[in-house]
Amino acid sequence: MYFEAELKGKKFKVDVAEQKNAWKVSLQEDGKDWVHYDISKNDFKKAEQYISFLFEGKSYLVDVIGKDTEYTVFTRNSFRTIKVFNDEMLLHESLKKGGGFGGDQELKAGMPGKIIEIFAKEGEVVKANKPLLIMEAMKMENEMRASRDVKIKEIKVKQGDSVESGAVLISFDEP
Amino acid sequence: MALFKKILIANRGEIAIRVTRACRELGIPSVAVFSDADRDSLHVFLADEAYHIGPSPSAESYLNYNKIIEVAKLAGVDAIHPGYGFLSENTHFAKALEAAGITFIGPTVANIEAMGDKLSAKALMKKAGVPTVPGSENGVDNIEQARAITEKIGLPVIIKASAGGGGKGMRVVRKMDELESAFRACRSEGQNYFADPTVYIEKFINDPKHIEIQVFGDKHGNHVHLFERECSVQRRHQKIIEECPSPSVPNDVRMKMGEAAVRAAKLINYVGAGTIEFIFDNSTKEFFFMEMNTRLQVEHPVTEIVTGYDLVKEQIYVAAGKPLSFKQEDIKQKGHAIEARICAEDPITYKPHPGVIRACRHPQGPFMRVDSYAYPGYEVPIYYDPMIAKLITWGETREEAIDRMQRALSEFVLTGIKTNIVLHKTILDHPKFRDGSYTTQFIEKNFEVIEPQIFKEVEDPVFLIAAAITAYNDRKSKDVRQLNLTSHWKRIGRKLQLRT
Repeated sequence: MYFEAELKGKKFKVDVAEQKNAWKVSLQEDGKDWVHYDISKNDFKKAEQYISFLFEGKSYLVDVIGKDTEYTVFTRNSFRTIKVFNDEMLLHESLKKGGGFGGDQELKAGMPGKIIEIFAKEGEVVKANKPLLIMEAMKMENEMRASRDVKIKEIKVKQGDSVESGAVLISFDEP
Repeated sequence: MALFKKILIANRGEIAIRVTRACRELGIPSVAVFSDADRDSLHVFLADEAYHIGPSPSAESYLNYNKIIEVAKLAGVDAIHPGYGFLSENTHFAKALEAAGITFIGPTVANIEAMGDKLSAKALMKKAGVPTVPGSENGVDNIEQARAITEKIGLPVIIKASAGGGGKGMRVVRKMDELESAFRACRSEGQNYFADPTVYIEKFINDPKHIEIQVFGDKHGNHVHLFERECSVQRRHQKIIEECPSPSVPNDVRMKMGEAAVRAAKLINYVGAGTIEFIFDNSTKEFFFMEMNTRLQVEHPVTEIVTGYDLVKEQIYVAAGKPLSFKQEDIKQKGHAIEARICAEDPITYKPHPGVIRACRHPQGPFMRVDSYAYPGYEVPIYYDPMIAKLITWGETREEAIDRMQRALSEFVLTGIKTNIVLHKTILDHPKFRDGSYTTQFIEKNFEVIEPQIFKEVEDPVFLIAAAITAYNDRKSKDVRQLNLTSHWKRIGRKLQLRT
């Protein structure tokens, strides 16, 4: 599952993949290289009310609060608030703010998936809250909508395409 | 002699629990009172009885003494402990209790009145031979007068516009030839900013420290001191770390301070626990009276730990008419104690951060004490002080007490709300705290750029990975179609299409 995250003004690309016994988490800070972490599920487990996280030999009791686009992580009496966006959230957030985070002029896939249906047409002005496309990921259909008026500049995928995390699906212009 | 039948505690939070504990150890039933916001507060759970006294704002509950006295009568209590803050120094309350025939566990009305007014308190202290900050009693009108006063009290001095504030109309004078221009500047700033050219001249304290002396008196004319506490680590002019003994007070000065405090307590025939606060100049080791608090202090545990006496029980004994259970020569300082006030607040901006506590595990282990009212699931209300816990550690030496406090802070798990625990850890590691040279300006001078230090403990990937895996699990567990507000009709339609 692909996310973009923001921590204390620093931007990161984040990819999370779940395996039977492990988490594969990759982080890329803006302008730096991807770093891959292979975390055994045994090293990231619920204990009491917290998560016991054994990371690079260090033991952290972690508590994560939040939902949707904002998570606060507490550990060792430090805490950080992290903004986490995936595709439709990126769209909604960027449209809400009228720009800013992660390139407001395109819709990206938040996770690997398959394009089921495309409603938008190139050159068309799409009203807020109208569906743009449906993407299937993790066996669920994910309908992505515009949350304000946009003009469709280019549709970079077609029905039936399989896309990777972070792939640009549609680019926009101002209506 | 019987003590009391039942004691009501007119307070909340950790101090209400502290008093409840003393009552229980003495076999006296305790009565808690609570506001709307405090139904789930720990002091309500721990007392023997509990009564609702009104809405959440303090003015309508913990300060509503008529209601509290009504509850006291209903519950059949014969004494009330006010804790600190709220009604603890309220003479109307103390008088109303007297009229109702209920004992106020605290000083006499006359004691509170004598120390409540700063000017009369200062005059009394002078009478008792307690040093006060030397300065001009009245406004200084001309430069000749200013020069005479400055020569009398000695450099450095500070000139203050009497109506001044916010740094305006204040000048420190370190050399005699600076006096005239500083004097004129203050007068004109006073005139320009506050329409009042009156200025005062006072001794300037180079390295000010807050040192206070714990005193105790009984109803039989006995008065003792229980040595000092240093409380110079302050943010927003409020103490956050206290220690006993002070690393800066030489033993002969400590004795002088204690004797001065006892003279003051004797002069006003003080009853119960009180604290005389001094401003202490660390460069000259001089001390000057600031004010007297006629109540138990938040930081009383460091004195309890170092002297071995239970101050709350002693308050109850004294209120019941017993003579002090210790004599001056019995009281010794053993080892070193430090207290850290844990507050629900942002460690960088010091802004209160109320909210729901999720995980909460208090530190444990040797030579420490936790006075806390936090528990998992408790919502810290917005109406009261942000202090939720006090951590006190003891060590044979100051170093051991500090290291033990660091250890205890590391063990403290408190999530869901922001706390100043990281700030404490940073302070305890600071060279100026370690060597004891810190003054009351320690935080404002040394912690302007504190953020990188505060967050140095944990690497970014730990936060990011924990957030990312949680975000992944959240999204996986949600029905994404519902999340995206697809209409129910559409979903059914699609399902039907799939079937055909």
